[in-house]
Amino acid sequence: MKSKLILIALFVPLLSFSGGQEIYSENCEKCHGFSQHGSIGLPLYRSTIANHSDGYLKKTIRHGRPGRIMPGFNLSEAQTAKLIRFLRAGIKAPIYTSEPIVGDIDSGKYTYEQYCLRCHGTELQGGEGTGKNFSWQKDREVSPPALSNSGFLAAAEDQMIKRIIMKGIKDTEMMSFEKEFNFTDKMANDLVAYIRSHQKPVSTHHISEIADEPLVFIYESGHDLATTTDRLRDSAAAYNFRVYPSRTLFEGFEEAAKEDQKQVVIRFCNFKNMKNFLKLDPRLGVILPCRATVIEGEDGKVRIYLENYMHAIERFNNEQISSEAKTLIDNMKEMVEEAVW
Amino acid sequence: MVVKVLALCGLILSSSVFAGHDQLLIERVNAKFSYSWLALDKTIKAHNYKAAYLQRCDFAMNERHYKSDKYRILFFGKYDEMKLMSKKYPEMTPFFPLKITVMEEGTHSLLIATPPIALLPLVKTNKDRMTIFRWNEDMQSILSQVKSQYK
Repeated sequence: MKSKLILIALFVPLLSFSGGQEIYSENCEKCHGFSQHGSIGLPLYRSTIANHSDGYLKKTIRHGRPGRIMPGFNLSEAQTAKLIRFLRAGIKAPIYTSEPIVGDIDSGKYTYEQYCLRCHGTELQGGEGTGKNFSWQKDREVSPPALSNSGFLAAAEDQMIKRIIMKGIKDTEMMSFEKEFNFTDKMANDLVAYIRSHQKPVSTHHISEIADEPLVFIYESGHDLATTTDRLRDSAAAYNFRVYPSRTLFEGFEEAAKEDQKQVVIRFCNFKNMKNFLKLDPRLGVILPCRATVIEGEDGKVRIYLENYMHAIERFNNEQISSEAKTLIDNMKEMVEEAVW
Repeated sequence: MVVKVLALCGLILSSSVFAGHDQLLIERVNAKFSYSWLALDKTIKAHNYKAAYLQRCDFAMNERHYKSDKYRILFFGKYDEMKLMSKKYPEMTPFFPLKITVMEEGTHSLLIATPPIALLPLVKTNKDRMTIFRWNEDMQSILSQVKSQYK
């Protein structure tokens, strides 16, 4: 009996730790990295986690950061607790009161503009791009968080925000403003009040803004297949896209002689746009290269099929890329309209 | 008794593995780009899919301030199934062939794909829906197997 108890006692801590690691591996490591050093997502340094209460981490996991890449996760209470235990790795959780900090919003705005705006942005929207991207040499190691984000403000306690302002976060660019700039208690309180004034309700369900839009735009051409593909290539070039050699739809799957020449893919790319988008999100490749399919149907009619990339981009949960992509997609639609006209 | 305890441990551990957010299919592979690329090619073939061609997106990236210039897209699929689908639903053609993006991040690689179930609104029969579900499962399995080769 004694040996059984010892065996169970040995396994209980192992179980609780392994569970968290499995959950991290399944859900978090793809963005935060194998060692929590960050990638598409922010680093989860122990020194950072040490500032966060269990409540903050729970809400962050549940709500994510709407529009800022981090999705919400529907984990059970037990799974969330295991994950948090794993992330803490033995570091004690701070406890903050839920009591709001009272401060002067106007004074806080002034302080923000003097000290915080440079990193966190004029609208508290945070830095550009993803958390920390090894692929691209950014001017900062980590993209500054969006303080106005509804997910952040729903999770963060006022006391936590104040502590981070005053003490900073070790191993990051967030310095101690108390130490470096002699911030007073009042300055910090005003700043917290200003940040809190940006709070909006956080939606528990993602509401797609483009759910009613088609997955594919279809254009009927008044020209034959060869003329339509030529016109589309010319139109793409006129819209500043570099046009690649055309392919048949299933090139590489069968002998060239057997390929269906009535299904043609026109591929095009604007390098400037691509570079800008890659800065905002390295996962852009899932929609590359931009392309339109020209097909002569059995009815003899020629149609152009253009993917509505907004649906793919919406999966990035990245407001910055969504707003910039809309213009590009509108340009593509105009480009095709000109080709079929 | 020891066996029973171990079995219980295994059961509890396995029950903690669950599906999370799966809007984009992403896996991080503990291997550099060239290894991941080869593993992906082999795994795709092992799933009875054919790799058709690749698209390089790495033109002079390292001259444009990127640390890595390893960024490629592999196009693949089951030709007969895609051919049938493209005849029946030409509006699916912008999504063919299926593709997986591979990018290097330091000593790791990221595999990223749009889930094929995104195509479900375009098909009308249960048989075609089942085909898409199968593509989706296969895509997840391919990514996960590439990852598991370098654990």
